Amino acid sequence: MSEKKQQVSRRQFLNYTLTGVGGFMAAGMLVPMLRMAVDPVLQPSAAGELVNVKIAVDDLTNEPQRVDWKIDQVDAWYESKVDKAAWVYKDDNGDVVALSPICKHLGCFVSWEGSEEFPDQFYCPCHGGRYTKDGVNVPHTPPNAPLDVYETKIKDGMLFLGEAKPQGEA
Amino acid sequence: MQWVKQDLQQYIQAKEYVDTVIIPLIPFQLSQDASIDIGAFQGEVLTIFTKEIEKELTGRVLLVPNYYYLPSEIKDAEVKRLNLWVKEITAQPFKHVFFVTFDAKWKKHEQLLDGTLIWLPGIKTGDIHSQEMRTFVNDQVNQISELIKSYWS
Repeated sequence: MSEKKQQVSRRQFLNYTLTGVGGFMAAGMLVPMLRMAVDPVLQPSAAGELVNVKIAVDDLTNEPQRVDWKIDQVDAWYESKVDKAAWVYKDDNGDVVALSPICKHLGCFVSWEGSEEFPDQFYCPCHGGRYTKDGVNVPHTPPNAPLDVYETKIKDGMLFLGEAKPQGEA
Repeated sequence: MQWVKQDLQQYIQAKEYVDTVIIPLIPFQLSQDASIDIGAFQGEVLTIFTKEIEKELTGRVLLVPNYYYLPSEIKDAEVKRLNLWVKEITAQPFKHVFFVTFDAKWKKHEQLLDGTLIWLPGIKTGDIHSQEMRTFVNDQVNQISELIKSYWS
């Protein structure tokens, strides 16, 4: 009877316990270190996230239309909803193009065909800056760079937009 | 451009392009318990309001700090002080000065002000974060930017 109970010797028992406790302690130290090493991977990147702007791709046309949406933004002091906007249309190949409405000159809000004198162009009301439909600045107007382009993604027929990037890089 | 470091650094580089100033006029008082909250609420709305206008027209507009005053009575002294602000502003290459307010009392003194007064019929109550308020503010902002643009051309 006692033979059966002593399948585990004292030495073995101590060995197991020590290994167990030691292992636990080592894990306790290693896991946070590991977590830190891979942290950037686990971090949900709020900035690079693509947001559903609640527009069906089928509703888009060749004519740029204004799309507004909101994102959460955390600044040092505030967490706030930030309004975003884009001019969105389908180009000749049927690809979706989303342009930032922020003028590259001094940051006013450009609008599509904002001036009757310049149809088929984006027009900035502040200093008369103009851009062609693909966002390229018209020479001899104040802006010296094309409009930024949003990252786009289409999922389940809905349009997702990410960050606005300068043209050429995107 | 707003009255913040980053915008002002840009402003200094681009002075000749910025020819319009917006001054929000906001009353401040503590003596009338009944209307303290209304006053504060209108101040909040007006601040949001002018920021939205500024956002539309960033490149050509400078939004200066709010002008606060005691509302009991708008006296000559107040008009004088406000005109001093304008004098300070127009020493720079600014051509258009707009005052934006919910306070109808300024309307009477409009001729004495060295700028254009935009008086908006006030909103007394409401939830500043509600969808209706958003729509309302957006509508008004559009109209006011159109108005400001019309002064430009």
